[in-house]
Amino acid sequence: MTIRPQTIDWIHSLPPASHDMKTLFAMVPLLLAVQMAWAQSGDSTKPAKAPDPKVAAKAPGLKDFPPAKVDAGALPKAMVLVELCESGLSPDKNLWPESPPAGSEQYPERAFALFRFPQRYIDTGIRADRPNPLFVRASAIVDLPPGKHRFLLRARGASRVTLDGKVVLTTPFPPADSGGHGTIKPPGQYLNLSPDFRFAPPGNREEVIEARLPGGPVVVVLETIVGGILGKSRRRPEPGETVVAWAPEGTSSWRLLSPAGETVPYTDEGWESYQAERNTHLDAVDASARASCRKADSEAMAGKRQADARWLAGQAEIALPAIGATGGHPIDRFLESRWNLGAAGQGSDAGEAVALLESKCFQCHSGTKAKGGLRLDSRQALLAGGDSGAAFDQAAPAKGHLMSRLRSTGDDRMPPKGDPLKDSEVSLLARWLGAGAPWAEPLANAAKVAVTPPCDDLTFLRRATFDTVGVPPSEGEVRSYLAWPARTRRAKAVDRLLADPRRADRGISAWLDLLAENPNILNPTLNNTGPFRWWLRESLLDQKPLDLMAMELVRMRGSERYGGPAGFAVASQNDSPMATKGVVLAGAFLGVQLKCSRCHDAPGGGRPQEDLFALAAMLAGKEVTVPATSSVPADKLHAGGRKALITVSLKPGSSVKPRWRLDDIVPAGSVENSLADREKLGRLLTSAANERFARVQANRVWRDLMGRGLVEPPDDWDRARPSHPELLAWLGRELVRSGYDETSLRRLIMNSAAYQRGSDPSLVATDPLYRAPARRRLSAEQVVDGLFAASGMPMRLEEVSLDIDGVRDQGNSISLGNPGRAWMLTSTSNERDRPSLSLPRIQAVCDVLEAFGWRGARQDPRATRDDSPEVIQPAILANGTMGLWLTTLTDGHAATAMALEDAPLDRLVERLYLRYLTRKPTPAEAARLAAVLSPGFESRKVEGARGPTGPRLPDPYVSWSNHLDPEATVARQAQEARAKAGDPPTTRLEPGWRGRLENVIWAICNSPEFAHAR
Amino acid sequence: METKIDRRALLGTAAMAAVAGAAAPARRRAEACIFLWLGGGMGQVDTFDPKAVGNGTRTGKPGSLYPSIPTTVPGVRVCEHLPKVAGIMERLTAVRSVNHKVIDEHAFATNLVHTGRMISGNVTYPSIGSIIAHTRGAGAPDVPAYMLIGYPNVSRGPGFLGAKANHVYLTDTEAGPSGFSRPATVDARRASEREGLLAGLSADAPGGVPLAAYRQAQEQALRLSGPGFLRHFNLKDESADVRSSYGGEFGQRCLLARRLVEAGVRFVEVSHNLNFLNGTGWDVHNEGIRNQHLLIRELDTALSGLVIDLERRGILDSTLVVVATEFGRPPEFDGRGGRGHQGSAFTMVLAGGGLRHKGAHGVTDDAGKKVLEAGVSIPDFHATILASLGVNPALELMDATRPVPVTDGGRPVEALMG
Repeated sequence: MTIRPQTIDWIHSLPPASHDMKTLFAMVPLLLAVQMAWAQSGDSTKPAKAPDPKVAAKAPGLKDFPPAKVDAGALPKAMVLVELCESGLSPDKNLWPESPPAGSEQYPERAFALFRFPQRYIDTGIRADRPNPLFVRASAIVDLPPGKHRFLLRARGASRVTLDGKVVLTTPFPPADSGGHGTIKPPGQYLNLSPDFRFAPPGNREEVIEARLPGGPVVVVLETIVGGILGKSRRRPEPGETVVAWAPEGTSSWRLLSPAGETVPYTDEGWESYQAERNTHLDAVDASARASCRKADSEAMAGKRQADARWLAGQAEIALPAIGATGGHPIDRFLESRWNLGAAGQGSDAGEAVALLESKCFQCHSGTKAKGGLRLDSRQALLAGGDSGAAFDQAAPAKGHLMSRLRSTGDDRMPPKGDPLKDSEVSLLARWLGAGAPWAEPLANAAKVAVTPPCDDLTFLRRATFDTVGVPPSEGEVRSYLAWPARTRRAKAVDRLLADPRRADRGISAWLDLLAENPNILNPTLNNTGPFRWWLRESLLDQKPLDLMAMELVRMRGSERYGGPAGFAVASQNDSPMATKGVVLAGAFLGVQLKCSRCHDAPGGGRPQEDLFALAAMLAGKEVTVPATSSVPADKLHAGGRKALITVSLKPGSSVKPRWRLDDIVPAGSVENSLADREKLGRLLTSAANERFARVQANRVWRDLMGRGLVEPPDDWDRARPSHPELLAWLGRELVRSGYDETSLRRLIMNSAAYQRGSDPSLVATDPLYRAPARRRLSAEQVVDGLFAASGMPMRLEEVSLDIDGVRDQGNSISLGNPGRAWMLTSTSNERDRPSLSLPRIQAVCDVLEAFGWRGARQDPRATRDDSPEVIQPAILANGTMGLWLTTLTDGHAATAMALEDAPLDRLVERLYLRYLTRKPTPAEAARLAAVLSPGFESRKVEGARGPTGPRLPDPYVSWSNHLDPEATVARQAQEARAKAGDPPTTRLEPGWRGRLENVIWAICNSPEFAHAR
Repeated sequence: METKIDRRALLGTAAMAAVAGAAAPARRRAEACIFLWLGGGMGQVDTFDPKAVGNGTRTGKPGSLYPSIPTTVPGVRVCEHLPKVAGIMERLTAVRSVNHKVIDEHAFATNLVHTGRMISGNVTYPSIGSIIAHTRGAGAPDVPAYMLIGYPNVSRGPGFLGAKANHVYLTDTEAGPSGFSRPATVDARRASEREGLLAGLSADAPGGVPLAAYRQAQEQALRLSGPGFLRHFNLKDESADVRSSYGGEFGQRCLLARRLVEAGVRFVEVSHNLNFLNGTGWDVHNEGIRNQHLLIRELDTALSGLVIDLERRGILDSTLVVVATEFGRPPEFDGRGGRGHQGSAFTMVLAGGGLRHKGAHGVTDDAGKKVLEAGVSIPDFHATILASLGVNPALELMDATRPVPVTDGGRPVEALMG
């Protein structure tokens, strides 16, 4: 169906020398010749100059809404002035205001194109919401040539455009939420005004008119209402694609309406590059706004730093060990000093036996409330025995209680839960007891590992790049690195990488796991949080000090639905959200595992329930009640007919007051009692006197870079002992000294000899004494991002949203944007199993991520991922859809361009190795690949074929609003099929040779070497 | 005759004592489970628990939308759109007294029925498929223990049991299993060339112990992508008669599930989500209910086809068939004649598995809104599935050092335990 633009004749021209708008408006009667957008209904247009009653109905209040009084002199030169107006709109009805609202914020824009607003920040630079709905006005003076031009208004919210005070274009308020019962919009119903016309993206309405202009400057005002009322909730405050575009008379070339005299084509390509430029600009605007917030807080921060310095000054210095063979770096000195540990006992059993006791027995048999009165955490305790008497008799150890309980098959077997000890373990203990139970440092028995020499330069670059920014180094980065002087190139690479903003994309993954960030793009009912990932990302980009980050998280302020730390406070359908958050914070910031204490006292004399619930009450700022649904019922405690292993000291329904009970970590008295609960909690966590906080952070960073923590597991320090206590203490102090700056800690570690050591291929895990690293497998995100980066293909997936037309209420649907890196994905939330709700491209990448240990839904916090090999991992890479995309030589693949260059074959092979594996091929490898690629290499280039050019049609879009339409299922299944097939390969390479090069790339991508650090 | 008995494992619920004690005869455990998932909420009064017919409008009389028909079990009637199932009703049990009290929201209730637990934020619980995969493992080498024909989501995942208990999935019978079926552009010859190249590169740069372990997993993966495993997905091997006895796409999925359990897959979840039949699938709000009978008939054909085929092949007793859904639907009609959600009383169906079937178990009131007799909670339903498969319902799974009971206090339905 063709759309006929409506013509209005321009009968007024501006007075030649003046831009006095008030005079203007006094002189000119308002013409309200407006036609409605027809894109959705397909109605034919009606010529009318009188106000259309339908218009008034669909745009309530519009006909009474006077045009804005624009002070032309206040408009920025050659820019659009955007004003965000926080008041003036009805708070509970979708209505145009009664009079033009005043701007609360304003900023300049390049064109009449609104797809993203600058973020609003409060406090120390956290995201906050603006009122919803929000009135937005964009004004500019645009010099337009004379002629009969066409103008297009496209917008998500109710909008209008005035030219010199005359309303020329409007769009209505968005339609009601159809609950899924809408229909697919057929291609013919899309506005299509030129061969390269940009079809309306989902969720926008539009209108086109023709207007004859006399030529000269015109005051253009675009007004739109962003967000809006939807039942008892609101629509998301997104502008969609709110654009004013125009096509000069006689042309079909649409361009954004812009005062700057530049031409920004309003085509798909033009829009994409405009968005890219604006996104970079707005990222900088946001960063600067956050910096201003922190500057405003700088006095408080300075006060804290002074307090930190005073505390540091009061501590005894930690002596650095002597300089050894590994050099003067403090880390190397600390590590080397423990390499001289000899086995303290007789024979190698000692270390193993103590380690076995630690892992299997300490949970119940340590500390002041050890079960059966028997402590096994020191030789003295072991010899002392427990309630049943001596644990073993040195003369006949096999006859004592300890061994008989280990060997029992009845219900007095030790350990009482889980698998019994293996026979070899039982024999080990018997031997060890027979030898008198000599005690040994578990580390003393660490297998003999030779200290490896430093890795080579390219290995270092690959390791450092993956560790910092999560992708392999590009060819350009390799070239410039190798051009630097050898002596300083590694340190220089570290500095460059730590300054690279991509470090935020790499560092965020661990935080998402640790804090259990768990947004849901559809009806969040599965212990979901808000998307506080955006706060995390900005914190990492800004290199925010860790103590400030912790404070902001605990305060839980800002935007709940759109990325502030308030999103952390949410735990949908959870019977005790603050207890859940208490577990998260204790694990992430204090290394204290409180999850047991949720439903019962932690076993073996661990932390009682009250420790957790008092913490929860501090987070809540008031008393909390212990829910019955999270308590082990009394009858379950005594099931099994033996004495219960756990106690429940807080009866369901009991009330717990806010109180800090973790005095063993930092005394409650270290901060003022008069502070509000959350503030008090934040200060207790982050005061320098809380050495645990600094050490837990230092351990996290150490573990990330070195492959193994100084404390393992990293989130349960009650049951672990540090392998290098002085080093850990020193690192904690350094972190405090640096102002809790994680970057400087990373720099410190990465510049040590220990970090730069070559790996030992015989190791499965990093040596506990750090004499050599193991070849660790890359994380799921590194595998995915690494393959995309090496192939030169940007990640082009669906928008992470099931409501791409912005129809639903914000409580039920959010958008997580267009993902560029793996961490930005989330669970596809298709619990309803509806094909029309699948997100096939995202699913293809999620399949790889989940196989390698990522979680799309993070209901509980995790500090560790399982790295062990599973069949599904190589399977999904080898055969899956994402693997297909990245090993097909499309026109966009980097290897296609490389293959088309005039360069010899061995150069191509070398470049492939550099891109994917950051090394040169060995002669054997080069020969192997040359054998495959030489045949047909000389004739590899062919004339590219032009694809068949049919009519250009828009893709029907599927969203929640229309997903129950059977056509939506058909459309989505077509999308699935297209995603599965991927893009067609290039036609500029001879197909046979191209297929062989694809085989080579497939083999490199799937090589075990790619997925592991070197 | 029982050999060494681990007494602690046997202590626990009274029901378990009945199963393991000397009183009941030893029952052979089922070897596999086919779990048919009717996503959206199957309305029980329109299917397996019919009541007096209502008139289909919001202000009119609530009740069933269709009349009922007798079955081969005296006293048990089902909706008229389930004639084939009615003809074999003595091999099934419609558990009419299933109930839960959680919010009737799809994702949340789906999670409850799959994991048997409320979400805690402390631990991610495993799905019933992962529990069975973890405890029983696969029935043959080189097949996965747990397969899903549907979309992956956290409720179907392994939770704390880890990746080994996760599923391999496919979204339709034409596509192969994700990760194990090669792209269309890679035929056997090309696959062989690629694998040769990969083997050569891996040998050139061995890389030590971690890479060798990964390479071993890779070799197994490439074996599984070959004809040995993939032939199970070739439904054209079946006779036309058998294929048509199962019916349309959902039926073909059930047929595929039968082939997979014969190959040794321990648990196959088959989702019935083809919403283009009636727009909304089983979630028959508003107009969605207009063609609900087409869905019911499709289920009728597929379920009866599956049960009869399993029996013909002698594996009905060793295969438990479950028809599950996240909640039921009230007898009242909404503004456009459809139905909302109801968790207070709904039906899930069991067949095979060596259970003592009786057509129906449990009684709801005349409206179909409340359970009157023999209520079965979701943990009880899980316990019944586990007991059928020979997994001790008193078992404790381990999340690191924390014991987690395999069900949340569930007890198997005694009447069904043969």
